[in-house]
Amino acid sequence: MDFVVLAILGGVGSLGLYMAWNIGANDVSNSMATAVGAKAITFKQAVIIAGVLTFLGAVLVGSHVTETIKGNIVDPCIIGDSHILMLGFIASLLAASFFVTLATWKEMPISTTHAIIGALVGFGLVAGGDTCINWGKLAEIAASWLLSPLAGCILAFLVFKIIVKLIFSRKNPVESAKIVGPAIIGVTVFLITMSLFTNTNVGPIVGVTDLSLVVPLSVLAGFLIAVLSAIPFRKIQGRSSQDYETVELLFRKLQIGTSCFVAFSHGANDVANAIGPVAAVLSLATGDGSLNAFQAVPPYLLALGGVGIALGAVTWGHRVMKTVGGRITTLTNTRGFSVDFGAATTVLIASNLGLPISTSHTVVGAVIGVGLARGLAAIDLSVIKKIIYSWMLTVPLAAIFSAIIFIVLRLIL
Amino acid sequence: MDETTGHFRAPLSDTYRRKSPFDQLVEHMGKIRECINLLRDGLIQYYQGTYQGFSELADKISAFEHEADIIKGNIRNHLPTSLLMPVDKGKFLWALREQDAILDHAENLAIMCDIRHTKIPKELQQLFIDHMKLVAETVEAMEHAVENIKDLVESGFTKKEREETKQFIHKVHEAEYIADEMKYEVTKGIYKLEKKLDPMDVYHLLKIADWVDDIADHAENVADWLRSMIAR
Repeated sequence: MDFVVLAILGGVGSLGLYMAWNIGANDVSNSMATAVGAKAITFKQAVIIAGVLTFLGAVLVGSHVTETIKGNIVDPCIIGDSHILMLGFIASLLAASFFVTLATWKEMPISTTHAIIGALVGFGLVAGGDTCINWGKLAEIAASWLLSPLAGCILAFLVFKIIVKLIFSRKNPVESAKIVGPAIIGVTVFLITMSLFTNTNVGPIVGVTDLSLVVPLSVLAGFLIAVLSAIPFRKIQGRSSQDYETVELLFRKLQIGTSCFVAFSHGANDVANAIGPVAAVLSLATGDGSLNAFQAVPPYLLALGGVGIALGAVTWGHRVMKTVGGRITTLTNTRGFSVDFGAATTVLIASNLGLPISTSHTVVGAVIGVGLARGLAAIDLSVIKKIIYSWMLTVPLAAIFSAIIFIVLRLIL
Repeated sequence: MDETTGHFRAPLSDTYRRKSPFDQLVEHMGKIRECINLLRDGLIQYYQGTYQGFSELADKISAFEHEADIIKGNIRNHLPTSLLMPVDKGKFLWALREQDAILDHAENLAIMCDIRHTKIPKELQQLFIDHMKLVAETVEAMEHAVENIKDLVESGFTKKEREETKQFIHKVHEAEYIADEMKYEVTKGIYKLEKKLDPMDVYHLLKIADWVDDIADHAENVADWLRSMIAR
């Protein structure tokens, strides 16, 4: 490998790392803030959970979305020239990083996912015209941007309704909570195990890929964890039929589980925003000069992204968690639990489908879901308007940035 | 909102209110109860002929009214159309408005009584005192109802809590009914003495009975709005 390639890889790698850091510092910490605000976990615990589980999510499930970003938006076959492609991915990453930094400074609620997709489209249009953009995939992604907050909203709504119907409405809410809470945790574990075995390398490594084996195994895992998480509750007694405080206390413990779920899903989806372009450049620079969309993303790159996100959460995330967590103290544990479950499930499913979605927008959708279930005293819906503006702003602006950077790069290099 | 320069993207934190409007409603209610209790104790002294310190009491009640007005303004000004609440916002505001009317009437009553010190005839003193106590009880019952709305929100509007809130609302109605009956007793008592009393005194006594009863009426209105607020 000659020096130039090494220099390029080093540059792109550190840019990807920066992007991952940014995601960890801002987005992951943002999502963990529900648990911190609801006092389910402390800042320190949040940082540790965010660090470890986003890393795991990135490494274990992160490849799907990364592959989408790497080779499914701009069609490498039409552009052909690997030099141009490489410049394009570098330009996209630069543009997205720049835009995300700007937005973070200006506190616009944009999504890194939208920035990177917009940037890819921008370079693709300049480099290969509109034929090289995979419009079908893009439409699918755009639809997922609308659907993911909606799905988060519906799921959180349902979970909260279940909590109200099966716990709060019962004669002895605390006793019901001891069963229903761990049961939902069990479902969570079932979902994660299913997705790990069917959609990642875990299945082949362990040697279990057959669905008839995966399903009972996942059910077993879910059941075991449910029983395990019910154990610490044995001694807790409800004081009256309106003892909602003790119910919240139980969910405070359970929310540790769902916040792990959030961090895991987050890593699985968002690592691609940082690592996707890096993976593309790497395979262009080291391979035979062509970009194969189906070439697997090397795990060490996902690990790099995971480390970046974890670093972001550890170094800068506490600031975000503290501020956001302090603002959302009205969120109690049952609500936080519902939000976490709705958002994380949606994000995990999207990650398995290879759809790059915005986690923070999904979390907002989930919060609105709990609000619609009459679970929150007041929610400001004007946030929806802000998010829609940010969609309309982010994609074209990131595209323009990326196009300009691409043109400049092509002139110099 | 403070701490706006954190330099991060947080659509999540824009979604929340720092203070629940229901908490603020209860806070407002707390001011009212405190004020009505003060008024009750002060008026009982007044009815017994001790006017000393009543001017200070009227000032205090005015101050209370002002404080509560600030809370009311705070609640009302921060309920934009984009805000999603688990209850109808219009009905919520009506409840708040009726709560506020209680204080307006309390203030009016205190000042009017202070402007003209009317001596309550011995025969009527106990009736007046009982009436005032009943009205204060109505307000107290109403405070329980308002506080229960918070539980209702906390439990995510379970049937159980709704039934309980309805019970509290029912108690307000009952208390108001008894206070009304007492007002008629007071009025009867005044008319019985009309030959003996100075006409201006009669006028003012009747007015006092009315003003005190206004407080219970508005407490009942609050309860009615709460009832319609939690109706499915």
